[in-house]
Amino acid sequence: MSARQSRSASIPIPPSSVTRSLESVIPMSFSPSPAPRMARVPSGGTSVSFNLGRSVPPPMRSASTSYASATMTAVAVPRGRTSGPAQANSPPAFEPRIIGGATSPTPSRDPACNPPYSPSTSPARPRRLSSGIRTQSAVSTSPVAHRVPPPSNVGHPLIHSFPRPAYLDNSSLRDMLHTEPAPSVIANSSRPSSYAASSHDVRAGTSPPPATSYSYFRREVTPAGDSDDESIVATASPPPAVGAVTVLSTNTILMLPTRWSEQDRTPALSVSLDGRDLIFTGPSCMGDRESGAARANHAIPPACGIYYYEVEILHKCPKGPISIGFSAPDVRLSRLPGWEKNSWGYHADDGWAFPGHKDGSPYGPTFDTGDVIGCGIDFSVNRVFYTKNGGFLGTVFENVGKTTEIYPCIGMRQTNESIRANFGDSPFRFAIEEHVRAQRDAVWGNIMSTRVDWSLLGLGPRKTEEERKAEDVKAAAEKEKGVVEDEEESRAPLRKLVLAYLAHHGYARTARAFQRQCAERTAAMANKAPVQPKTELHDDEDVKMAVDDAPAVASNPVPSAAYDLDPDFRFDSELNTRLSITNAIVRGEIDTALSLISEHHVTVLEREQGLVLFRLRCRKFVELVLAAGEALRRVKEAERTVAGTPEPAPPASPAVDGEDVMGTMDGLGAMDVDDPSPEAHPESSMSVSGPIAAPTPSVLSAPTAMSSVPSPVATPVQDMHAALAAAARTSLHTALSYGQTLEADYKSDTRPGVRAHLRRTFGVVAYDDPIAAGGEVAEIAGQAARNALAAEVNQAILESQGRPAHPALETLFRQAGACVTQLGLLGVGSAAFADVRREFIEG
Amino acid sequence: MPSQQKAKIYQQEWERRLHDVQVSKDDLNRLVMDFLVIEGYKSTAEEFSKEAGMDAPVDFDSIENRMNIREALQRGDVGDAITRVNDLNPEILDTNPSLYFRLQQQKLIEFIRQGQIAEALQFAQEELAPRGEESPEFLAELERTMALLAFESSPMMPSSVSELLSTAQRMKTAAEVNAAILESFSQGKEAKLVGLLRLLCWGEALLEERADLPKVCSVQSWNWLELTDE
Repeated sequence: MSARQSRSASIPIPPSSVTRSLESVIPMSFSPSPAPRMARVPSGGTSVSFNLGRSVPPPMRSASTSYASATMTAVAVPRGRTSGPAQANSPPAFEPRIIGGATSPTPSRDPACNPPYSPSTSPARPRRLSSGIRTQSAVSTSPVAHRVPPPSNVGHPLIHSFPRPAYLDNSSLRDMLHTEPAPSVIANSSRPSSYAASSHDVRAGTSPPPATSYSYFRREVTPAGDSDDESIVATASPPPAVGAVTVLSTNTILMLPTRWSEQDRTPALSVSLDGRDLIFTGPSCMGDRESGAARANHAIPPACGIYYYEVEILHKCPKGPISIGFSAPDVRLSRLPGWEKNSWGYHADDGWAFPGHKDGSPYGPTFDTGDVIGCGIDFSVNRVFYTKNGGFLGTVFENVGKTTEIYPCIGMRQTNESIRANFGDSPFRFAIEEHVRAQRDAVWGNIMSTRVDWSLLGLGPRKTEEERKAEDVKAAAEKEKGVVEDEEESRAPLRKLVLAYLAHHGYARTARAFQRQCAERTAAMANKAPVQPKTELHDDEDVKMAVDDAPAVASNPVPSAAYDLDPDFRFDSELNTRLSITNAIVRGEIDTALSLISEHHVTVLEREQGLVLFRLRCRKFVELVLAAGEALRRVKEAERTVAGTPEPAPPASPAVDGEDVMGTMDGLGAMDVDDPSPEAHPESSMSVSGPIAAPTPSVLSAPTAMSSVPSPVATPVQDMHAALAAAARTSLHTALSYGQTLEADYKSDTRPGVRAHLRRTFGVVAYDDPIAAGGEVAEIAGQAARNALAAEVNQAILESQGRPAHPALETLFRQAGACVTQLGLLGVGSAAFADVRREFIEG
Repeated sequence: MPSQQKAKIYQQEWERRLHDVQVSKDDLNRLVMDFLVIEGYKSTAEEFSKEAGMDAPVDFDSIENRMNIREALQRGDVGDAITRVNDLNPEILDTNPSLYFRLQQQKLIEFIRQGQIAEALQFAQEELAPRGEESPEFLAELERTMALLAFESSPMMPSSVSELLSTAQRMKTAAEVNAAILESFSQGKEAKLVGLLRLLCWGEALLEERADLPKVCSVQSWNWLELTDE
């Protein structure tokens, strides 16, 4: 550890004799800080002087690894088309004047209808036009205030930004859907209106506290993982070495259309400053070949499930066939959407719908100035629907967006025609949320009628393709007859799943009860031959009694072919040992845990080059420090009592007392007790199994043992005080010398995870009450860390026995969640309506 | 399905996705509790709520009521089951004629099973025949059941008829009644755990169609029978 020297040098050490004497006793970089601090600062002060040079103390670290990272530490990855749409959002902000066709960035496209109009009129045009229209269309509910982008918006005032529309909250992939590019996405989280932020908050609230959050990868909770999560945080800037894979998955951001594209339009169309209005500024087109169309700035992610936007017709010429719909990015813009392959449109003049060629069909009513036309795509069926002034017009087209990306697209043909789009920044006329919910329920209902194929899930014999087909046929036939799935067959694997889960987490009593109940049911089933006389009732009772009386459930009296509860769980031995170990860790009795592990699961300690042992020893150190802090607090308390009664307490008294403790420390030396192990002698190098074999004193018992030592001093109060002080000295010393051993033992371990964990562990020393200190320190010292370590050890033991590190139930859950996400990204719209958490956890 | 190019998913990416799924031990505990309650493992549920420190999601006694009905059906005492269902909530059968028919049918099956042919005939004529007129579906089921009498344990009996006498038939009826009761208490009618498996089957099948998964992506890859069999 090369950084050590400089770090210790950087620690501001209070100039006092105490410190010096301590330093001479324990020449370790980490050790000087705690002692004077504990002695000098009576109440939990701040940590200013004892920041051990931890470079990054992120307060929310562990929380972010498990779920927040996907959205919060996000990197902008515009999906699909490369540069065009992604940039479209920013340039207009800085060149707001470029809105007319003449100054268009795509001057090369110069069709016949490109107008010779005066650029000077163009910037002011949108507003004048729309306000003129407003008087004509009393129907319009679109408030005038929206015509001008609100100046209060974050960033550049001309960026028309808004939170993700509420109806998209129904998508299971909502956290990936964004209305703003990455930098503002992060800024977003501070805005109360941000859906992304609020939905995340809600979850954080319902989730367990950070430290108990459930990391899937073992390395995530192990020291190696610590360095790992630092690298995750770092992902926010440059992509890590893993490359595209990581970037693609965790940080996926799918941009939603938010405005009409500045680039992706014919020059005949002008876009308003806020990106919502399109005005046909060119001369009216003649003939079918000449039209003007524009697309929105981003493709619609199928992960939306349903995407919807509305268009208000601000001004339509009598003959104008305004077309509203969708189109693929490569479709010519000189044609109305619906007339070209891979575009779909609903036309104002005749109410026809065109599915990508000139042969349309009658679809809905015609529409005109003042009407609000809604246009939605349902990716779960790849069909489109329209609304007119809030009324649903029905679904139309097929296979929309199945093979290409699609964009909102509008086409017009007459001079001065104009429309205003609502991409979700203001309320919709149509009750889109209701519609989406109804669709979601339908899709979900469908998914929930999927037959559970146990062989697909790796349960039971793997079936051949033919067998599976045959079963499907049979199942379909049964469904027609209204027959329910065979209960017992489907329940057996489920029971196994649940039982394995209970055993994994050490819910021993529950597991036993469950096993007993399962055995009862199995017995009941086995005893019921198809046709049986009525006496079976009594038989049943007998069997039940027998099962109940059986001492161990493992001796299942009725082995059933259908379902045989596995006797190999050995609840009483295996599970109980594992429970005792984890419980000991949870209580902070690391030595107990260590000796149990070395007795029953010695290989666990050697796993991952002794990582588990390392973690346990670090925890032991933390426990020792905590005990020392506790002992010191007792001393102070006693002092306060003493000072409170006979003479007023001099303010310096704690410090004096501290000095007292430290001063005498040398004398007591490597004292007493009970630490015959190499622990007390940092120099002697220690074998890996050292601390396990050594019957180190119980941390907690040390102070009490000391306090019972009789003291020569006179009054009982002083007597007690002295005893307490001695106890404090002892435990402090034990802690520090253990720390030295730890440091010495792992000096040569260069694994970054180990180094980082060691550093954090030693950081605990800097606080007299680490748990009260909050933040990262409390996280390391607190109960949650014990629990996490217990879980980790539990996992390691299970792994050492060849059992999975995670209960199958958890893997199944994750598998389901990952499946849904993956499908959503592959363009399967139904996946947006399969929300694993909402359906199975929160609902 | 247009023959799209199959997407390639890398193992690392997939692992990341698995990792990104938010789920805690508490979440899974709730899932397990839901299973225990819905499936009627009362004593296990009680034990679990103590051991895992969870609040009881429902009155555990309600589980027992449900299970008594289920047991009555499983041992063939349909009359007892009907009485119990009505004690619990008379609306369940009143508002669900097909469920009521299913129970009556089961009762008829039990008469036949016990060789009480006279009773069976009388019951069929008085109770079931009028219902058979109500709907063709009921009538077909009634005919299927009456066929039991015609074959009367002959080896010629077609399986579609003989299966009515099976334990599975009892279980099916019991499951339907269970679901109806749960629904009447506005609880989910099946355990969320089952739903989870359904979702997974749906997703895995679709994913297999669309993407080349590394072995690890597929659930099949973890032989989770290892969990218990050693």
